[in-house]
Amino acid sequence: MSAALAIHEFASGGLPAALEFLKRTRWELRELRMVRVWTDRVYIIDVNKDYFEIRGVGFPDADISPLLRAVNTAFDPATIHETATAEYKEFFTGRRHTWAEDRVM
Amino acid sequence: MIATPPAGPSMNAASEKDPFNNNCYGTLVDRDYKPVTLPVLDVNDFNERIIRGYEEGYGEKDLPADLSVARSLIPAGTASLRDFSYIAPEIPEYIPSNCTGCMDCVTECPDTAILGKVLGEDEWEQKLAEVPEADREMYKGQWSRTKKYYEAGKKKQGVGGMFNIIIDPSKCKGCAECVTVCDDDALKMIAKTDEVMVKARKSHRLFKNIGPSNEKYISGNLLIDMMLKEQTHIYTGGAGSCAGCGEGTALRMLCAATGSKYGEQWGIIAATGCNTVYTSTYPYNPYMVPWTNSLFENAPTYAIGVRMRWDQMGWQNKPLWVIGGDGAMYDIGFQALSRLFASGMNLKVFVLDTQVYSNTGGQASTSSFTGQNTKMSVHGKAVFGKQERRKEIAQIAMMHPRTYVAQTTCAHVNHFYKAVLGAMEFDGPAIVVCYTTCQPEHGVADNMAGEQARLAVDTRAFPLIIYDPRAGDTIKTRMSLMGNPNMKGDWYIHPKTNQEVSFIDFARSEGRFAKHFDRDGNPSETLLAAKQDRLENWRLLQELAGLR
Repeated sequence: MSAALAIHEFASGGLPAALEFLKRTRWELRELRMVRVWTDRVYIIDVNKDYFEIRGVGFPDADISPLLRAVNTAFDPATIHETATAEYKEFFTGRRHTWAEDRVM
Repeated sequence: MIATPPAGPSMNAASEKDPFNNNCYGTLVDRDYKPVTLPVLDVNDFNERIIRGYEEGYGEKDLPADLSVARSLIPAGTASLRDFSYIAPEIPEYIPSNCTGCMDCVTECPDTAILGKVLGEDEWEQKLAEVPEADREMYKGQWSRTKKYYEAGKKKQGVGGMFNIIIDPSKCKGCAECVTVCDDDALKMIAKTDEVMVKARKSHRLFKNIGPSNEKYISGNLLIDMMLKEQTHIYTGGAGSCAGCGEGTALRMLCAATGSKYGEQWGIIAATGCNTVYTSTYPYNPYMVPWTNSLFENAPTYAIGVRMRWDQMGWQNKPLWVIGGDGAMYDIGFQALSRLFASGMNLKVFVLDTQVYSNTGGQASTSSFTGQNTKMSVHGKAVFGKQERRKEIAQIAMMHPRTYVAQTTCAHVNHFYKAVLGAMEFDGPAIVVCYTTCQPEHGVADNMAGEQARLAVDTRAFPLIIYDPRAGDTIKTRMSLMGNPNMKGDWYIHPKTNQEVSFIDFARSEGRFAKHFDRDGNPSETLLAAKQDRLENWRLLQELAGLR
């Protein structure tokens, strides 16, 4: 993968800032495809495999759940913090509201 | 009264509105309209006058209610003339240096909008010399030297095969399914600018002008290569289906497999449903073979009659596919379907299983999964989605006398093609049930048809099955579960994470089950029951296949 399109440093207690970063920069990515979560960083990846990186937060941290929810990630909050046998955990981000009910006026 | 077609360029030729003639008949190479000898349908008049009326925006309002309109007959392939280039903000771009020629993008596109071609390097150079000089380098740069066609071709034929993928900008709906299924980073989505669109339109025109693929480079053993041949493109682009529609891909692949064996010498009886709506959104028809629309409930019965008449006419060798959704085949037309199987007649049934009545707004069918949130089983405080268990049409069909049965998905390309070809080779009734994603009803993104179909198989939501009565005397010798992961186990264990992948993981990835998860992500009791239901179904299949 090439370099991240944008990088956010996650400071302790900085969940609102990280969510704001995702909201502010979201338009730079195309249709989201998946997320990859390491112990200390997260990649939010689109269909072109372009991605944003959030450094300083990973699957052991409590703040990972709201971050993953913010990008529609299909993950299990009960097991997300468990140790991984692989280098990273990977999840799809293709879930949408049926009939786009979230976007209906 | 049949009005005179307007003067000016043909709808099948370049015009001021369509300067590169992208909206025209023929998928890989140009072709003329497909004429018919019926006294009730004038193909030339229809395509030149009625299609023009709709393409130019005055059809519905200003066309007189003449005989052609009143009869609602539509010639073959009129959807080829439809322009969809204005409906999506993005289009895929091909990166030839990364391409391996796997053909996944061409196969999985629901709209016949991404096309492939292979030519020997010598003939390719000759043909390139005929391309206008101003565009030659641009077009040349879009061909790749892949291992599959170039290096293998050089060894076998002495000359390497040059491979080209092209996007038809007039048919692409921008779903990004092709980009998602490409494992080689050979496609990416880009914004439609004027420059991008002129290049795409020009490239598509040059692609069609350069002629057909050289069939020496197409291996008969590689089923996925069949879409390199024009005769497999029976389902043209321009159908009115949603972006990324799983059914569109299934119909294209069904048509390709049938076309590869029978050309255009076969037909379709289609039960009312989404499939008949987007393939006859007046005046557009993507099929190059004859087809007819019955009611929801009687497509199998209708097909029995047509089969009898065709046999009387000496057309025993022409296949007849009966197509319908789960509403038509599991529910409303179930008795007629059972009768078709019992008849022993040479009829083939293809079920587009979206697990919901997609066309009428999302009511539950007997194919819907337990817990699914639908219009007839709305998830609320008292009832948590559909409470019944899913009916299994494949198992029911197997219990009819001497019936070929397959359950498959478009994401399992070889399995799909083997299932369809097997059904056609079988000298009796056959059914192929295909998992198809309905993006708005399932609550998944436009690019997820293939990924969700694969997950449905991996999580036992929709196991792959082939049951061929010719394969032996016992159920276990006739039945194959090949293609399912961990065939002898309960659940698939993901090799990367070492974790069980169950129906709960499938449900978690789709909006239709979203209400079954609490704030902490715990699944509801109903969903756990659905998981158990899927496991019991899988174990039954294992038992029938002699794996338990």
